[in-house]
Amino acid sequence: MIPAGTAFSLLILALAALAAGLVARRVRLWKSGSEARLVSAVGRTISAVSADKLIAGLKALPRRYLVDVHHVVGRDPYAARMHALAAGGLLGGSLLALAGLIPVLGMSRLFWAVVALAFAAALAGGFMVGRRRLPEKPARLSGGRFQRLPLYLAAYTGGGLLVALAGVLPPLAPQALLASFGWLGLALAAGGGIGLVLQIDRGPMRHAFAGAAHLVLHPRPGRFEGERATALAALDLDAPRLGAATPADFPVNRLIGFDACIQCGRCETACPAFAAGQPLNPKRLIQDLAAAIEPNATNAAYAGSPYPNARPVAGVGGPALPLVGAGAMIHPDTLWSCTTCRACVEECPMMIEHVDAIVDLRRYQTLELGALPLKAAPPLMELRYADETAGRPLAARTDFAAGLTLPLISARPAEKGPAEVLLWLGEGAYELRYGRTLRALVTLLLKAGVDFAVLGPEERDCGDLARRLGDEATFQRLARANIATLARYSFTRILTADPHALHALRNEYRAFGGEYEVVHHTAFLDELAASGRLTLGALGQARVTYHDPCYLGRYNGEIDAPRRLLDRLGLERLEMERSGKRSMCCGGGGGAPVSDIEGERRIPDIRMGQATATGAAIVAVACPQCSAMLEGVTGERPEVADIAELVLMAVEAAKLPAAQVLA
Amino acid sequence: MKIVVLLSAGRHRVSGQPAPVPVELQALRLAVELGGEVTVLHAGPELGALADALGHGVGRLIHRVIADGDDPLPSLMAALTDNPPDLILAGRSGQGGEDAGLLPYSLARALGRPILADAAGLSAGPEAGTLAVEQALPRGARRRVVLRLPAIVTVHPAAPAPLPFAFAAMRRGVIESAPGISAPQAVEVEERPYRPRPKLIAKAAAGASAAERLKAATQAAGGGGTLLVDPSPEEAARAILAHLAALGLRRDG
Amino acid sequence: MTRQRRDPRAEERQQLVAGTLRRRLDRTQRAAVAAPVIAAAPVTVTEAAPRLRVIAEPAYLVAVVPDAPGGRLTPHDRQVIGAARLLADAGGGAVLALVETPSDEFGAAGIDRVLALPVAGYDPEGKAEAVAAVLDGLSLRHALFPDSADGGDLARRVAALSGEALFAGAENLSPKAVTRAARARKAEQRRAPPRLIALAADAVAPHAGTRHEAAMLAFTFPPRAPGAVLAAEFIPADPARVSLAEAEFVVSAGNGISDFDAFRALATALNATPGASRMVCDAGLMPRAAQVGASGTVLTANCYFALGIAGAPQHLQGITGCEHVVAVNTDLHAAMIERAGLAIVADAQQVMPALLRLLAGEDA
Repeated sequence: MIPAGTAFSLLILALAALAAGLVARRVRLWKSGSEARLVSAVGRTISAVSADKLIAGLKALPRRYLVDVHHVVGRDPYAARMHALAAGGLLGGSLLALAGLIPVLGMSRLFWAVVALAFAAALAGGFMVGRRRLPEKPARLSGGRFQRLPLYLAAYTGGGLLVALAGVLPPLAPQALLASFGWLGLALAAGGGIGLVLQIDRGPMRHAFAGAAHLVLHPRPGRFEGERATALAALDLDAPRLGAATPADFPVNRLIGFDACIQCGRCETACPAFAAGQPLNPKRLIQDLAAAIEPNATNAAYAGSPYPNARPVAGVGGPALPLVGAGAMIHPDTLWSCTTCRACVEECPMMIEHVDAIVDLRRYQTLELGALPLKAAPPLMELRYADETAGRPLAARTDFAAGLTLPLISARPAEKGPAEVLLWLGEGAYELRYGRTLRALVTLLLKAGVDFAVLGPEERDCGDLARRLGDEATFQRLARANIATLARYSFTRILTADPHALHALRNEYRAFGGEYEVVHHTAFLDELAASGRLTLGALGQARVTYHDPCYLGRYNGEIDAPRRLLDRLGLERLEMERSGKRSMCCGGGGGAPVSDIEGERRIPDIRMGQATATGAAIVAVACPQCSAMLEGVTGERPEVADIAELVLMAVEAAKLPAAQVLA
Repeated sequence: MKIVVLLSAGRHRVSGQPAPVPVELQALRLAVELGGEVTVLHAGPELGALADALGHGVGRLIHRVIADGDDPLPSLMAALTDNPPDLILAGRSGQGGEDAGLLPYSLARALGRPILADAAGLSAGPEAGTLAVEQALPRGARRRVVLRLPAIVTVHPAAPAPLPFAFAAMRRGVIESAPGISAPQAVEVEERPYRPRPKLIAKAAAGASAAERLKAATQAAGGGGTLLVDPSPEEAARAILAHLAALGLRRDG
Repeated sequence: MTRQRRDPRAEERQQLVAGTLRRRLDRTQRAAVAAPVIAAAPVTVTEAAPRLRVIAEPAYLVAVVPDAPGGRLTPHDRQVIGAARLLADAGGGAVLALVETPSDEFGAAGIDRVLALPVAGYDPEGKAEAVAAVLDGLSLRHALFPDSADGGDLARRVAALSGEALFAGAENLSPKAVTRAARARKAEQRRAPPRLIALAADAVAPHAGTRHEAAMLAFTFPPRAPGAVLAAEFIPADPARVSLAEAEFVVSAGNGISDFDAFRALATALNATPGASRMVCDAGLMPRAAQVGASGTVLTANCYFALGIAGAPQHLQGITGCEHVVAVNTDLHAAMIERAGLAIVADAQQVMPALLRLLAGEDA
């Protein structure tokens, strides 16, 4: 037994006790939140407070951590290795060293060799942490306490290594030297260890235990079961307070989620609003939410990138104080900048649900305060009294199809049985540009002999805009009305070209009793082509790049069918710098176009820049919002075409002898 | 100050669904921002969507229930004389009845109060018991009028947009319903479905002569416009000013 | 001068652009078919001096109460006089104008008699009492008002004072019947013309053809007690500050404009409200509130003058309500050029100084 070794083990014990005290302090703060709740894949909310749910969460923890978290962290292999070494080495080494109190082990040189190995690994991890931040810290990483982390890590793990080496080396080195080695190591480890433990309360080490607790009590457990789990939670409109005004209005497990943030800044590099210079930074938002749970909280400790063009706020808060407002932590413009694209959620290694938090805060602003951006109120008013965002006649939704056969489902003879597909037209049908897309789609359905029908004047707005703007009351009214309409007709599937409508109908209506098989037009056209119901010609050698709509790719995981379909057209397909589930938003979702929060650039301009960079002549889109936003980009740029339009060109090309439709 | 805002049984301009009349919600905002005790008042068979007014910044709605087709004036009079307000606000023209905008005037006459039309803004007057009204005139002109209270003021669509709707506030609002006074009205007019007519004449410039009116009419009928390709800047400028003058937009042109 | 009859089909055939997949029309070809109007000599209408018609012994009186700000009749006033003539001429009646300030244009506008109302300053209730007194004292068969801001207000005051039925917002008028929209424009009401009628704008053609004597009448008005209006101050519309939605004349800058000081000077010189395209607002060259279009402000202006704006669909949605459009753009195929009543294919940046010079010359 070496004296420094024993002292080291005791130090770890003391540090663990200190850590436990600090954790307990934080847990007490969490308790200011409301009852923990889980959200099912379809947006139903259930209580999370039950022993079996907790046990299930605990049992699932290792898998959630090693598989799901690692899957996200592993996108940056350097970070993954760094984390494995630092965290694994630190925890492993410390736990082993604690076991050194057992006399048999404490006397064993082999034991100390293993400890030394663990701390060597941790030291290497700490070195990687330092190398990432020094000499120059990347913008997305936070400074302040975070910048001291590599120092503490090096001191603690280096100290541990020295102590362990003092236990390994006795026969090889003079006793006195080793003893001074050991005590030096102990002193280092004590300094570093105290620094690290204090960072549990405020600093990077908080994510270690809050992250574990967050994974156990994650509000959307479905995400670990392979579900997309992206439907917003249905709000009980009879609840005493609608939405979240204060930290205490968030369920406990959501507060834990905010504390799990390690400020890695992956969200801010993915956020389209951040890129456009709008006052939103998802990382800062989560930090403001996490900071506000302390009494007399301020936002002063934050040392990462700010909200771009931040609007001034007082930056003060508390568990029962308002979160949003110029006199609070978060400026309303921050909330309304979000496009709800979920890119931050997709990138977050701690699986934090930023969009859920934003929508909860918006719900309070909209439903309780009526504090909406100037131009967001009129569309909601029109929705209330005309079931349509611009107050246009519902019967005018089919005007785009003038001259085409568009069978109404209400006029369908009963003997024909259920329609193969019900075509949901969506808001885009009123727009001139998207009308062209829908005409192409309807023409394709007619050519393929698909037995389809539309609701015509009975189709109301799906409620997507209202819901994202926090107007849950209007969303639920529209959802119930649409479900009642759909219940009167018989069809096998719903087909839509609007991913926002698809998401609402497929996932969000379920909480209100509407269960439908909903298919996006890209998947449906792909089916038609695969089964030979549509004969496609080749479109020549044009280069095309596909822009994934957030509500199709990220929200619903559908990224393959559109690409398969494009490949069938014989086009040269190029991928943008960001694509698939990690694609970048066009700026059209979440009511962002009506909220119209001023930034420095426009999101569609940035996205179009990425498309242009591929050298493609065509940006293929699959969503009315994307089509409108990208068409709004001026100057030299690739042409914007919906996949349905390209497919129609290919079908028409199949009939021409050797025509090359696209030059 | 006690303020009552009158609500009429509106319908959405396109869908025809029951809906508050936007200008009345604008009146409500003016009342709320002027401050004081604000209530809204409606006389009609049912409230329907009018309860939504409670989501636009007011906590109390008084409903006098009368039969369909009854004259609301006696019921409104009764409700307003119970607890007379300092200021009564109404939309420029209500909906649901003849939509002629006559009711506020009849009410003013019956209550013996002065009436002022087309307010776009309200503020406290220079002395107690007075009100400063910013009156909207066509094309953005204004008239600032100081009015002695109590009074009735109708509100113009140029007033600020309604306060956004807050669902929870609507839920919290109080509705006081009581029977109104039965007052059947004689129907003098024949009614049939609305048929839009083309506007009869092309707009001629202010103070236009017959020749100018003829020119305006023929230009509009001609459809397609005039095109100048690559004129000199001076030529273009002269053409533009001549055109603007023909439209009556140049006083000295 | 004889005008060639237009043949739209022939014009379109000429405009078809060959060799493209999508049907495209080249509107420049329009010039080849229809001669440009601007180049032609101004339309000359020989206006023979209208015949004077004297109604010496009217069977009854039909009154009009025009807005006539400063004694000048507005187009709406002239329409109301036209309507009054319809009602008067159906039975040998005469048209009587009740005005604050009589002027010499009344005779040509179709007015037989004129009565000056004793009104000082802004006193709508006093004016209404005076009109009601005449209504009673001269046993007017009808009194017609323009259903404008002030005229409509006056009509309703007179109706409330006299207890007479008012037919407001009349959209169609004949000696037998008047009609108007009701129930949120879902229904149309129709009845025989009552005593008080407020006429909507652009519903009846103004009077033309004959001149009338516009003889002054005398009337003893009852004394007027002080009203509730303590002070009134007229604030003319400042085109620079009026909201875009209310503005009558908007001059708007797009991508083709680089000198915004000149643009603002031009807006001031033209007495127009400045607007801008989305791109200009995005670039911060003009405030966001100046943005015209579906995502900005939807205009109700009478005239829209677009400088260097190509006319994106969302922008055009914002000006659907504008009756007159003037466009200057370098691109012949721009949608705005297509939309404009006067379209000039030129560099707007060059045209602006020329306009400013010309306007400065006018002022000098």
